[in-house]
Amino acid sequence: MLRTNIEKIARAHNIEVEAFCGDVASCCANDCDVIFISKELGERIKDRAKVPVIELDNFMNKAEVEEKTLAYLDSVR
Amino acid sequence: MEESISKHNIRLHCTAKNWEDAIRISAAPLVECGSINPSYIDRMIASVHELGPYIVIMPGFAIAHAAPGDDVTVSDLSVATFSEDVTFGCDNDPVRIVMCLACTDREAHIARLQRIAEKLLDETFLDRMGSCVSADELYNLLNE
Repeated sequence: MLRTNIEKIARAHNIEVEAFCGDVASCCANDCDVIFISKELGERIKDRAKVPVIELDNFMNKAEVEEKTLAYLDSVR
Repeated sequence: MEESISKHNIRLHCTAKNWEDAIRISAAPLVECGSINPSYIDRMIASVHELGPYIVIMPGFAIAHAAPGDDVTVSDLSVATFSEDVTFGCDNDPVRIVMCLACTDREAHIARLQRIAEKLLDETFLDRMGSCVSADELYNLLNE
């Protein structure tokens, strides 16, 4: 669900992203630029992740997801 | 259009002793119709014990799930609404709606989930789900 929201936001801003879903066990091994994750699970992977970890309180809050997605994308532009 | 959730898998106005009970109640229809074996319910509960209440993805709403496995026969979804607050021990408490997702593989069900995600983005949707008085009404709301 989070993936869908992030893809939609990126599309609305004409930014091309490749998003996929992972799980706590495998996500740190994935070749990716950033990990968006719930607050609870973020705690568990922060120390292991080699890429920025963006934590979300509410996956379905358009404003929160948009703000955090765009803030990350701006930071790497 | 393929339905998001079948009418059989919708339960209304349930009461649960605790969050584990709420997941069991919400998932019961999936066992009844043969989509999952009971061990899948145990795995959904175990993953919350192990990883925390991350399944409460927004205030008031939990989507229980576990990794695909032999105990999932058919990819399926169920939902239960609760008349009393269910507490998972997180900032998004209290929860009144618990959905259960079972998948045979990682890609199964994405389209159905996306349709539900679209609806959940509407801030009024959870309230409208919670105020449904019949399974028919909730079915229509979820599948419209």
